[in-house]
Amino acid sequence: MITEREKYESLVMRVAEHKDKAAFKELFLYFAPRVKAHLVKLSMDPRLAEDLAQDVMVKVWRKAGQYNPAKARLSTWIFTIARNSYIDQVRKQKYPEVNADDHLGEMVADEKTEKPLEQKQTAARVNNAMKHLKPEQVEVIQLSFFEELSHSEIAERLQLPLGTVKSRIRLAFKTLRKELGEYE
Amino acid sequence: MKPHGLIGDEWLVSYAAGSLGEAHACVVAAHIDYHPALKSKLRDAEDIGGALLEVSEPDSLQSDSFDAVMAKITAFEEDMFGAVHMDTEQKDTVPPIVVGTDILPASSLPSSLSQYIADKDLNSLKWRRMGPGMSQVRLWDGPKGEKLWLLKARGGTEMPVHDHNGLEMTLVLQGGYQVGASHYTPGMIELADTDTKDHHPVIDEGEDCICLVVTEAPIKLHSFIGRLVQPFIGL
Repeated sequence: MITEREKYESLVMRVAEHKDKAAFKELFLYFAPRVKAHLVKLSMDPRLAEDLAQDVMVKVWRKAGQYNPAKARLSTWIFTIARNSYIDQVRKQKYPEVNADDHLGEMVADEKTEKPLEQKQTAARVNNAMKHLKPEQVEVIQLSFFEELSHSEIAERLQLPLGTVKSRIRLAFKTLRKELGEYE
Repeated sequence: MKPHGLIGDEWLVSYAAGSLGEAHACVVAAHIDYHPALKSKLRDAEDIGGALLEVSEPDSLQSDSFDAVMAKITAFEEDMFGAVHMDTEQKDTVPPIVVGTDILPASSLPSSLSQYIADKDLNSLKWRRMGPGMSQVRLWDGPKGEKLWLLKARGGTEMPVHDHNGLEMTLVLQGGYQVGASHYTPGMIELADTDTKDHHPVIDEGEDCICLVVTEAPIKLHSFIGRLVQPFIGL
């Protein structure tokens, strides 16, 4: 039996290999309404969010061949495309990316922490893990992901010392990773 | 405490969230490139973003949304087809020959940096002198006063003593330097802010030290001469 996740990943493969429009439509119907909703949460005007969500899906089509299920979950890959497109469109800035290959990484072999990706969490598990966060930890995660505030901007917004904001984000991340069985 | 020379997890979360400006994102991404352990953590942080996206209550789309996307794809592919044809007509450019030196070739620089130096190697950049033994290449200026630049300092150079008006991030690309008891080598990052007083890095003897730096505000030089020349250096 194939999982929901494998189903969508195989759709991307069909787009990459055969430019399969039917497969792409299935991906579109699942992801486009979520990408749009996510952009609206970033306080984008719904009309602009619709347009940008369309552009994100165009990039999913174009970059389908670059997607590697062993490196990232599909929703994560689409999230990063949406994030970078939003920054390009709204902030008129680039978002310099981490190298997808590990050619520099190989120089530092003793730090290797590759884990089987089979155990990677589903959205439901992350969502569940969010419930283990304290409200003030959820707050800093949301201010980071939905308002894209820097540490000092969050400190200003919440009237907190910068060090408190940083440690809250660290603790939230630690809890999330632990809940997801990723933390060592 | 966090390990020496590695950035704290809060920066990985902010990078993943998209909440860093371009200059900080460039330095953080470059730093992550050196450390598989950070890369693995970044994937976890970006998974949070993916999950937040996936659990968003789906929004309704325009009725013609899918057709609009297919039309954009068709238009893009026609453009590409035209571009490919143009390319084949003028592809006889030979890549420049890189003269071998002790400086890292461009191929082993972090990929987030290469777009700012047009894939050149560090040696062939136009270095501008900024003080005894020091030169710089300015890469990008941001809307909030942040500056992304490269610093090259000759082995043995003592940097002028200074304080900071904002956060300064320094990623070592080549060589090394010492601040007090801490030693920084390639791939290591140093963060200094308004609480870091009398910052006085000393470059290791030997090869040039090259760092990728982001500063948010002009530094406060202690020496009178330093303050005099500062406006001309632009930092």
